[in-house]
Amino acid sequence: MARTLRWGVGLLLVVSLAIGAFLLLPFGSWLPGGTVADVQLGQVVNGTAFNRLFPEPDDGDQLVFTQEKRGFSEARLKHDGQVKALLAISDVTTAPEARKKFETSQSRLQGWPLVEQGPQATALLVADRFQIKVIGQGDGLEAEQRQELIGRFNLRGLAALQPASGQRAALPSGPDTAGRQSLGRLAAMEPAS
Amino acid sequence: MSSVLERLDRLPRRNLTVLAIKGLSTLVPGGWNNITSADGLIADVLGSSDPELIRQVRSRADALSRARHEGYGRALSLYVAVNRSQKAAGGLRLLANIGGALPLVKRVADLTPTSETLQAADLSLKVAAEMLAFTQVNGLPGDSFGDFAAALGEYAGEARVRMAALICFDALLPLGDQALQRLDGLLGGVDKRDLQQLPTYAGMAKLLPGRGDGAHLTFLRRGVDQWLGWAGGFTSQLGLTGQKAVQALETTLGPWQGGFQQMATFLDAFTDTYQHTGVQAVARRLVERAAAEI
Repeated sequence: MARTLRWGVGLLLVVSLAIGAFLLLPFGSWLPGGTVADVQLGQVVNGTAFNRLFPEPDDGDQLVFTQEKRGFSEARLKHDGQVKALLAISDVTTAPEARKKFETSQSRLQGWPLVEQGPQATALLVADRFQIKVIGQGDGLEAEQRQELIGRFNLRGLAALQPASGQRAALPSGPDTAGRQSLGRLAAMEPAS
Repeated sequence: MSSVLERLDRLPRRNLTVLAIKGLSTLVPGGWNNITSADGLIADVLGSSDPELIRQVRSRADALSRARHEGYGRALSLYVAVNRSQKAAGGLRLLANIGGALPLVKRVADLTPTSETLQAADLSLKVAAEMLAFTQVNGLPGDSFGDFAAALGEYAGEARVRMAALICFDALLPLGDQALQRLDGLLGGVDKRDLQQLPTYAGMAKLLPGRGDGAHLTFLRRGVDQWLGWAGGFTSQLGLTGQKAVQALETTLGPWQGGFQQMATFLDAFTDTYQHTGVQAVARRLVERAAAEI
């Protein structure tokens, strides 16, 4: 009798420890559904790397960054306090379906496929990986104005961005440093202009 | 758990909360538009009502809000936590007001946190929740501190009515017109025991940076310091006072006979201002991102 009791207590202890470990330790990030489309974070370029590729605003205009996440960076182009357009760069690794619309595209901008989405949005796919999007807000922008805005992004810099490798992502600061290194390399490659 | 856009679709079109915000928004230039339709919001951001495009944006937005790492869902749960405890505290205070006369219920009155110190701590928790939610939704935009400050200002400008509600309902009405000037001093008097009495704190403690009540208290004081500069400018620019807030609320809620503090208690107990405008703010940022990613 004492023996079964001992086994029972032991078993109870093991089970409760296992359950406790699962609930209390940060295993949450191992469960599926933590990231968009379950793509590992290390495979997506950090939004920080996109910020300096946005166009310089004209005189009187103002560029205000509004969101920066992994694989995404967005800014608003403002004039006199009014939002003229949303500008964004995103890594399509987490949204493969976004690539499809470029397959049938006829128009090109600096060699990359260009697509109009509805009356106010224009998209460009750079290096089959990075999507630049300009969406007119408020009174709206003409298609030519949107394309001109897209052309002023640093497209060469964007095409040369290297994705952070999966191994580096294992280190806490891995992806960030990888992103900065590739930018540094880029600056060295870029002709002074 | 439902996605951000589903929650937006479920927001009330007309109830006490909506009326209270509508009334207050007469004080804020630009006014307030009660957005309760996700499809309408998407069409507004995209500048197009093409159903296929709207469907794409919607499914992308749902995927983004389901991903735990993206923070949109976490920001919402912050708002919900703050809202729930605000209602609980408001309900208790209401009970204390009514029950003050009845001997049996009098004990409740002794239990309820009514002191100004606690009110100040409650406000500081709301401000902290606002900042945490900002970083959850928007990340840390830009490369410099200046960029980040600009992003914060942009967000606050977009949510002007929301900020006005926070200032009026949680500072000016319960603490008086000098609330913002007094807040620093009041927060200085808050100790760990006061903090633990607050229901809001219990819900938020694990989301605040730092370990232990002491670290959290430091975080709250610093957060409020940052916010006060902005809020002070905002208040004097719009000329917000408790009197003006009550007058503005009377335009939609009808005449009010009681004092300012009772008005604050009433709003705490019966409206979901913080959560209502919070869902709308998160939804807009989410849709802006989804529209850019499809």
